[in-house]
Amino acid sequence: MTEVLTGSQILCRELLAAGVDVIFGYPGGAIMPFYHALPEYPQLRHILTRHEQAAAHAADGFARASGGERVGVCVATSGPGATNLVTGLATAHMDSSPVLAITGQVGRPMIGRDAFQETDIIGITLPITKYNHLVQDVSELADRVREAIGIALDGRPGPVLLDVPKDVQNQRAAYTPPASRPARGEPSTPPLDQAIREAAQLIAKAERPLIMIGHGVILSSAYGEVKALAEKTGIPVITTLLGISAFPESHPLHLGMPGMHGEVHVNRAIQQADLIVGIGLRFDDRVTGNTAAFAPRAKIIHIELDRSEIGKNIPVAVGIVGDAKLVTARLVAAVKPRRAEPWIAEIKGFVRPRAESFSGDLSPEAILAAIHETTGGQCTIVTDVGQHQMWVAKHYPYQRANTHITSGGLGTMGFAVPAAMGVHLARPGELVWAISGDGGFQMNMAEMATMIQEGLSVKMAIFNNGYLGMVRQWQQFFHEKRYSCTPIWSPDYVKLAEAYGIAGWRVENRAQLEDVVERANAERGPALVEFVIAQEANVYPMIPPGGSLSEPIEARPAPTPAD
Amino acid sequence: MSGAPTPSHLVVVLLDDDLLAFNRVIGVVRRRNLPVSGIRVDNPSPMGNGRSAGGMLRFSFYIQADEGHAERLRLQLEKAHGVNSVEVSNTSEVVS
Repeated sequence: MTEVLTGSQILCRELLAAGVDVIFGYPGGAIMPFYHALPEYPQLRHILTRHEQAAAHAADGFARASGGERVGVCVATSGPGATNLVTGLATAHMDSSPVLAITGQVGRPMIGRDAFQETDIIGITLPITKYNHLVQDVSELADRVREAIGIALDGRPGPVLLDVPKDVQNQRAAYTPPASRPARGEPSTPPLDQAIREAAQLIAKAERPLIMIGHGVILSSAYGEVKALAEKTGIPVITTLLGISAFPESHPLHLGMPGMHGEVHVNRAIQQADLIVGIGLRFDDRVTGNTAAFAPRAKIIHIELDRSEIGKNIPVAVGIVGDAKLVTARLVAAVKPRRAEPWIAEIKGFVRPRAESFSGDLSPEAILAAIHETTGGQCTIVTDVGQHQMWVAKHYPYQRANTHITSGGLGTMGFAVPAAMGVHLARPGELVWAISGDGGFQMNMAEMATMIQEGLSVKMAIFNNGYLGMVRQWQQFFHEKRYSCTPIWSPDYVKLAEAYGIAGWRVENRAQLEDVVERANAERGPALVEFVIAQEANVYPMIPPGGSLSEPIEARPAPTPAD
Repeated sequence: MSGAPTPSHLVVVLLDDDLLAFNRVIGVVRRRNLPVSGIRVDNPSPMGNGRSAGGMLRFSFYIQADEGHAERLRLQLEKAHGVNSVEVSNTSEVVS
């Protein structure tokens, strides 16, 4: 049925038609017509964040928690509202997360005249969106919303932005609802028989093969296919930072994380491997270190949806463009059963005794173990960026798919707390822990107000070492221990939580640990726990930037009882 | 002491006759940080009214890059919304 609606009403109707039920945003002058219409559509729940950056991260977290199946939506006004979305959109772009940003723009007659709160958000976001568009007339609005959501979800997902002038939001036009809901396009796979055959032959001949999986496995839900490939061939599995939780950590074939802070045995296995089957990853520099020295003996099979990623960083023997789930399933059918016991035994010989991050009473490892044990592993962990991010990646024993969410590509501090709000809304009823350092937490801690106002039960852990810890670690190793501008003061987080009406605790020793974490889990609403850890805690091992995976900086092994 | 000169490639992009698509293409090229010269923008088949046949724009330029970088640029350009086709030729094939 055709109706005459305003642009704002059309926007709301199109969002509903696309299956959107939560939007994160912040009102302002140029987006006011949209906010005027919003109460007419109570099915669209609006979450008022305290900063537009948080709205973008929350939309990103929502989209990631849906496995890239649903678009996360954020809304901001023109000018500063729009520019505040930029970091969140760049974060989503680097990690292939489907986010729709809707920004208000000054009225069309004012565009280009340096009007109040006018900025060229289309120009600003061109390199960090899959698609963006300044809507010229209400008559094209519905089509553009459908097109934008389709592009965000289709193929390799990513963020899109629609800039809607204020007068277009007020314009009236005849509107016909879409016949069907835009959805993620069915992945298509070109004829691959030859490439699959070549890959299967390489797998059959390899003596020291590895499977390395990334975010693409999560985005295509290829968990079962990857597990089947590993189990049929006996090939050990490495998970990149964004591939963590795509393969159960307790599986006997799981090795761990590679790269700059990867385990020594994982990096050595890469350097000794004669074949690497990379699925849904882009071999970024944090994984490879010096690309010239990466996996010098290995042939690479690269399975990736985005063909421009194949061969971008690492030369490949066989590149297969396609959806990770579909291609891996075909590879499973093509390979013959085989084992790799001698190779696995060799890798076990590379394993070093794991040193704790420091020898004090309250180690990051102990904190993460407490969170895992008290939740029974039934929670999603959202991390910020820095030392704690690496501790979580290395030590948290993920068993459930897509329960590890982090800013991998852009490395955005301040991501965890707002993204965890999005995860909570995508997975109502499930526990969500946002784990941050004292630096990253202070970037978006105002979102505690959002949690209270909107009733979002996010559990927050702050690893407080009084430093911007990862930068301090680099200063220690590579900058003559000149700790320039890295000591960071913190407020009393427990009192701060109390001021927001949030239950808060400070944990300073291991004896308090489990009891406090259990109480935080049991809180009906949000909860905050500050963990006071040693200033000198470091992430080990570490590959120096630009170095080879063969040259790690290793910690002293943990003291044995006899020491 | 310097090695062989980096080969030059002619890149021809056929895209929508639209400023935003053009802007996207320029962004993709600029991000690669490669030496670019001989920039030319025209309509493949002028209709006499300022618009090209089929609403297309042709954007061409030379880059100094090895085969790998040139191919990488081609793949990145093909991903940009509004791009219809990309051709990359080693100039030895087109310049006598």
